[in-house]
Amino acid sequence: MLAPSRIASAAVPSDSTGMMCETPLDATAPVFNLDATTGYITTPDGNSIYMWGYTASGRGFQMPGPTLCVDSGRTVTVKLHNTLREATSIVFPGQSDVTQQATGAPAAEPAQPELDANGNVVSLVKSAPAKGGDITYTFTAGSPGTYLYSSGTDVTKQREMGLYGALVVRPAGAPKQANNDVSSTFSKEFLLLVSQVDPDWHAAVERNRAFDVTHSTARYFLINGRSMPDTLAPNNAAWLPSQPYTGLIHITADPQGNTPIHKPALIRYANAGPTNYPFHPHGSSQTVVTRDGAALHDATGNDASYGKFLLDVGPGQTVDALENWKMEYDPTNNKIPSDIQLPQLQDQIVGPGTETWFSENPYLGGPKGDVPTGITQNNECGEYYHVAHSHALYQATNYGASFGGMMTLIRIDPPNLYNCAAGDYQ
Amino acid sequence: MSEQTRKPGVSRRGFLLGGAGAATIVAGAYRPHSGASALPELSDAGLAAAGVPDVALAATDGWVAMPGANQPALSPFWPDSMAPPGKNLYVFGFRNVTGLTDAQVAQQRGLAQISAPQLSFKQDQDYRVKLSNLGLSVRPDLVDGHTIHWHGFVNAIPLFDGVPELSISVPIGRSFTYFYRPHDPGTYMYHCHFEDVEHVQMGMTGLLFVSPKQNGTSFTVGSKTFTKFAYNDGDGSTGYDREFGLFLSEIFAEGHYRDAHIQTTDWTDFKASFWCINGRSYPDTVKPNAPYSTTLGYQTGLADGTPPAGSTLPGSLQYQPQSALVTCNAGDRVLLRLANLGYQNHAMTMDNVPMRIVGKDALLLKNGTIAHYIDTNSVEVGPGESRDVLFTAPGFSGGTGTSGNGYDTYLLYDRNLAYADNAGDPASPGGMLTEVRVYNGTLPAQSQPNA
Repeated sequence: MLAPSRIASAAVPSDSTGMMCETPLDATAPVFNLDATTGYITTPDGNSIYMWGYTASGRGFQMPGPTLCVDSGRTVTVKLHNTLREATSIVFPGQSDVTQQATGAPAAEPAQPELDANGNVVSLVKSAPAKGGDITYTFTAGSPGTYLYSSGTDVTKQREMGLYGALVVRPAGAPKQANNDVSSTFSKEFLLLVSQVDPDWHAAVERNRAFDVTHSTARYFLINGRSMPDTLAPNNAAWLPSQPYTGLIHITADPQGNTPIHKPALIRYANAGPTNYPFHPHGSSQTVVTRDGAALHDATGNDASYGKFLLDVGPGQTVDALENWKMEYDPTNNKIPSDIQLPQLQDQIVGPGTETWFSENPYLGGPKGDVPTGITQNNECGEYYHVAHSHALYQATNYGASFGGMMTLIRIDPPNLYNCAAGDYQ
Repeated sequence: MSEQTRKPGVSRRGFLLGGAGAATIVAGAYRPHSGASALPELSDAGLAAAGVPDVALAATDGWVAMPGANQPALSPFWPDSMAPPGKNLYVFGFRNVTGLTDAQVAQQRGLAQISAPQLSFKQDQDYRVKLSNLGLSVRPDLVDGHTIHWHGFVNAIPLFDGVPELSISVPIGRSFTYFYRPHDPGTYMYHCHFEDVEHVQMGMTGLLFVSPKQNGTSFTVGSKTFTKFAYNDGDGSTGYDREFGLFLSEIFAEGHYRDAHIQTTDWTDFKASFWCINGRSYPDTVKPNAPYSTTLGYQTGLADGTPPAGSTLPGSLQYQPQSALVTCNAGDRVLLRLANLGYQNHAMTMDNVPMRIVGKDALLLKNGTIAHYIDTNSVEVGPGESRDVLFTAPGFSGGTGTSGNGYDTYLLYDRNLAYADNAGDPASPGGMLTEVRVYNGTLPAQSQPNA
């Protein structure tokens, strides 16, 4: 796979799995400097697609934009520098007291649409002029949850081109809670920012040619700017320099019994696409605790969270869900009935491609069995894998080729980790 | 590989819903090997032991019939010129072959049904589901494997979860027995996960459900006493008199044609042509079920095309044996198990009858003692979601009913009226629409779901 020529390492320290945050220098008065720039992303079938995106100023192009992490209630400043050939801007849905201040303006003013001479809206909010313009936005970080930020200018095209990112608002003083409820405490968090790409449209923009958007058909479906199996690569994978964010969900199983020993993982879904994505994690029911930044309570304040095995996230919507996974069977105390057997290798299809994530053992953490010659076994230590993907199944493809697209894996390590390398998770 | 056969109707273990009548497919008893000792179960040195499956499914291809006149816009893709008489669409699918001999199972090659057989299970019981791959009769060049993925099973073991890259898939001419011990009542789906964008669209998918342990106990709610419930609600609030599984999907006719005619399809070109409930489009949705047997479920008739004895079903629907018609008596409490394994959202509505959503994705909408049931006239079900919906059949209008045939008719359909269509056929409506027929107390108790 060819790497694009404009490469810069994203110098953001973090671990290799889980959500990476763009952390401000001063958490009490966060300031983020973003550039609107152009770049390329790669797809697993060898395609290279021209994109527009927000990057951390001074660093290389990335898609999606940096995940901004702030505490609820803080005043956040975002300075946008625009290198694109047309004006662009940022809207911050779900935040309050949003202001805009163009270069040279004497003071900030409440964010409001730009109008043309006839009073028609030309941008949802004041924009930064093309080819070097700047603008500064401020807002008060809203209710704890996951939000999107994206362009408010020439919106249909600029959002398709990739001008979006996630904004994570944490409860003040409780960074390991999804919302203000203690019951939303999590161990590790994962961001799944979902979107899609029509490569023909991007090629037209790259060549500055007209394109009939009514005939647009998406061919690539992305999680954090990557398609399966690139979604599995770690954060800051060297071979995906423009797509730094992993989509792999990596958790540790709870042992048998009714008392979980781990706090659940938090999955933050954010939909930056133009349609809903019905997301299906195999093997688990995820508990939705927050939607669009609002913790789920009924009218009298009771917990109204609910479990789903399919999270249908609408365009512009976010869903925060907790996930845990509990072991049930083991070879000693709670066996799978003995007449249930793994067929001999010649009676199995392994793959069906050239790799498998199966351990050739039904049990979690059990010793691995052999796979046929020529098949790469990606399984490390008997861990389980479950797939998580859009269930509008053409979206789980790379341009129609299955086991691709808007898909990732949930890796479940055995509870005692005796066989897996110790990692940065419980 | 040898296998024991099971004679239909032999099992008397109590895995039957609602008494003597059988469940949708009886997920019957497992007879333990007498005197068996625990063998090392991970050995691949020997063949699988002859465990007796509760359900045996065969995976293969076949032909079905969609309604509507020949529409130039879909020509030549539909009707398919290669289809046998009376059929017009190529499909992949599962068939229920529980209790058949090896020779009988092999005869089912090329006789797939859509939607896949509706299966029922009981909470906390052990089940063995054996999948055999019979190959594709129209496409002997393809060596596709098949799997079973139980969609929504919590804490699933990947080996039994059916994703080929994370487990194994079944080669042509082989079989594999899946093991399930479901703990969570509710409505689910199952489907093949081998090249699923193709296999699911081609028809290898259907509905299954798990009934709660609370079944058989009784709760009185108002003037009614229930012994069947959708969930372990603890108060009877999900009790029902009759239940109907309604499996929602769409058909992309061009993709089916290409599979039959050895062409490849870019699945990102997906565009629905037909909208189905239980594999049928209106007016076929309201045609009767095929005859029912306790082991084989709704029967599809003989391999030579002869419809089942006593069937009033048109021969064209031979391989779409599951009706989507809802029938009940006035005042009945009816459970609709809605499950969507298509690629589009479907918002189901019933004219003039309010609905109560009690479960989503096999989870009761209740936190502790506080219920969050949703009273509505529109139940949206996204791709891969399920909904458990209760309604009370309204009082009978009198005489011969609004239909003139002894029942009152209410319509149950997808509010997206673009889907009340059969490939642009001017005869309207079509597609994802069925009827709820309310009788004046003359219907006998339901003997199995969808009866």
